[in-house]
Amino acid sequence: MQLTTAQHDALVELLNIGFGRAGASLSSLTGHRVLLEVPHVAIHPIDQLNATLDEYMTGDVASVHQEFGGPVGGDAMLILDPVAASTLKELLTNEPALPLTLDASSREVLTEVGNILLNACLGTFGNLLKVPISFSVPALDVASIRAVVERLVGPAESFRYALVVTAGFRLRDAEVTGYVVIVLTVQSLTRLLVAVEEWERDQQG
Amino acid sequence: MSATATSLTGAMLQWLNDHAAEGIFTTDMDLRIRSWNEWLHTATGLGASAAIGRDLFEVIPSLKERGFDAYYREALAGEVKVLSHKLHRFVVPSMRSGEQIPQSGRIAPLLEDGVVVGTITVIADVSERVVAEHELRAQIATAERARHVAEEASRVKDEFLATLSHEIRTPLNAVLGWTRILRSREHDAATLARAIEVIDRNASAQLTLISDMLDMARITAGKLRLGVGEVDLPATIKAAVDAVRPAAEARGIDIVLDASSSVPLLRGDADRLLQVFWNLLSNAVKFTDTGGHISIRITSFANEVRVAITDTGIGIAAEFLPQVFQRFKQADPSAARRHGGLGLGLALVRELVHLHGGSVGAESAGLQAGTTFTVVLPVPVAGTIARRESPPPQQKSVLSGIHILIVEDDADAREIVSTTVADAGASVTAVGSVAEALGTLRDNRSDRPDVVVADIGLPGADGYTLISEIRCLSPEEGGRLPVIAVTAYATAEDRRTALGAGFFAHIPKPFAPENLVSTIARAVEPTV
Repeated sequence: MQLTTAQHDALVELLNIGFGRAGASLSSLTGHRVLLEVPHVAIHPIDQLNATLDEYMTGDVASVHQEFGGPVGGDAMLILDPVAASTLKELLTNEPALPLTLDASSREVLTEVGNILLNACLGTFGNLLKVPISFSVPALDVASIRAVVERLVGPAESFRYALVVTAGFRLRDAEVTGYVVIVLTVQSLTRLLVAVEEWERDQQG
Repeated sequence: MSATATSLTGAMLQWLNDHAAEGIFTTDMDLRIRSWNEWLHTATGLGASAAIGRDLFEVIPSLKERGFDAYYREALAGEVKVLSHKLHRFVVPSMRSGEQIPQSGRIAPLLEDGVVVGTITVIADVSERVVAEHELRAQIATAERARHVAEEASRVKDEFLATLSHEIRTPLNAVLGWTRILRSREHDAATLARAIEVIDRNASAQLTLISDMLDMARITAGKLRLGVGEVDLPATIKAAVDAVRPAAEARGIDIVLDASSSVPLLRGDADRLLQVFWNLLSNAVKFTDTGGHISIRITSFANEVRVAITDTGIGIAAEFLPQVFQRFKQADPSAARRHGGLGLGLALVRELVHLHGGSVGAESAGLQAGTTFTVVLPVPVAGTIARRESPPPQQKSVLSGIHILIVEDDADAREIVSTTVADAGASVTAVGSVAEALGTLRDNRSDRPDVVVADIGLPGADGYTLISEIRCLSPEEGGRLPVIAVTAYATAEDRRTALGAGFFAHIPKPFAPENLVSTIARAVEPTV
């Protein structure tokens, strides 16, 4: 499955609205102006997720994972490499970061940031589909990118796709890049894309 | 749910209500409080009976004031909210010892069969974690500072060694180069004079460099002592000006000394103050372009004398100004290659001025804007010391009729000492070891030397053995002869040891010929 140009553009526009909301939340929380850049969006079959994420980062990563359910369900995750995680935390709290494994406060801040971003993405989809989406409590994990992807992929019981959204944070003259990965079943993704196209038509009409 | 499961759930809820280590409260869809556990009672002072059934924001108004009402609305729409301590500090106001307890929290929808029926808020006391992280952060910062200091010290040392290597090699290159040229063939008198001038200047430069290093080491070890006496500051500064004037004139740099005001005599070490002003003036000459100008202004006040040395040179960048007196610091190490020096001169100046109870400062409006160094020296409390009209004239030492035994294993050094004293009219017996020296004394009772000039670092028996052996001789054999040490063991400690061992004087190598001659003259004074 591949995104058409129209689907891609509409998804970018919708996610950008969600990112705007997330940026406003982070700005108000930190007292710094936090901008989330216009996201890049791509769809990959789940079995190619490992290869795709390997291009962006290697080794251990910090990930904030939330499951979501309702008429559309799946897994959502914000992934940051350790440097990006430390930098983001330092920029947000104006305090030098400790190694993540020793710093529960930093893990908590990143969990909150992940939570805000994932809520923004998934909330956008919920509004679009006019369906309620419920969320699990977010959990932060520091593990190898392979272990993270394996956890996302799980047993290949259904043919699924991963929506990979590149999230660029800009704050205090610095830039940090993270990746939001949303794993959806074919049915959920199809429903989402149909809704996206309808929204696009509504916008034009 | 079976009856057992229901009762277990009820028991669990009761337990959580009474004993949970976190604050837990729930609301219904209208955000009315439905449960409020004991932790919250303890933390807020508000019991369950006073909270349950009431509007959440009425019970805790600060939640709404801080914008958490939006979080609760979003929780009712299914979203989970994380409230980190770093970004929120606390969730519910809870005072202990008058301070707000650090908290973090979660706000989540409560679901029944997939439908939201209310919210649950879970609050943790994170004070211990915050303290532990604060301590860890402080430890890491301390270690980081120590690492930074060590790295900076190592970098400065590396830079210093590179400069030192360069500075030692440069004059040696000139000395060796000219020596080889002189040996290659006959030269006319002008070339010879030029060669000697270059060799002398470069050897002197190297001596200054080594003296600076030793002085710095003495100061660092707290072993530099001032030979305090009366100091005629204008005369001292004039001597420093005279010393640098040839170098300044060679580059067309004009030096003007304004010492018009009456300056009282100061208490201090004239040689060290000469070193201070020589260093400052050498620096000024070094960093002033051809055709530049250096002015020295001496101003006397009731309690102090100020000497301002202003040049029209390359100036000092504002960011380097605070470091200008630090050891081994040079504004531009690459410039050190151009201008020479170890970066010790100004550090020495500061230390020497401090030892005199004074201060020194540098001002510059920036690069290419010239520099002013100002030395402030205290005037003795007793007031002005009577000025001498003029220093006593230096008596030219004459050693004619004096027989000197020179003990030096190094042939070149032996020749220099021999030539120096012979030029002053002395007769010389020169030997290379302690055994030869003692043999000479025993064998020449009729023409016994008047004074012994000995190296200390001799192979086998050293200078200390020599002096103790000499003191064992009979007076006829020379047992009471004055013995002068001329040695490369040049520290203050070496000097004390030598004088303690009975040497008449300690002259560090390389020596000034007039110093050796005058010391010998003093040593033989009673018999002359």
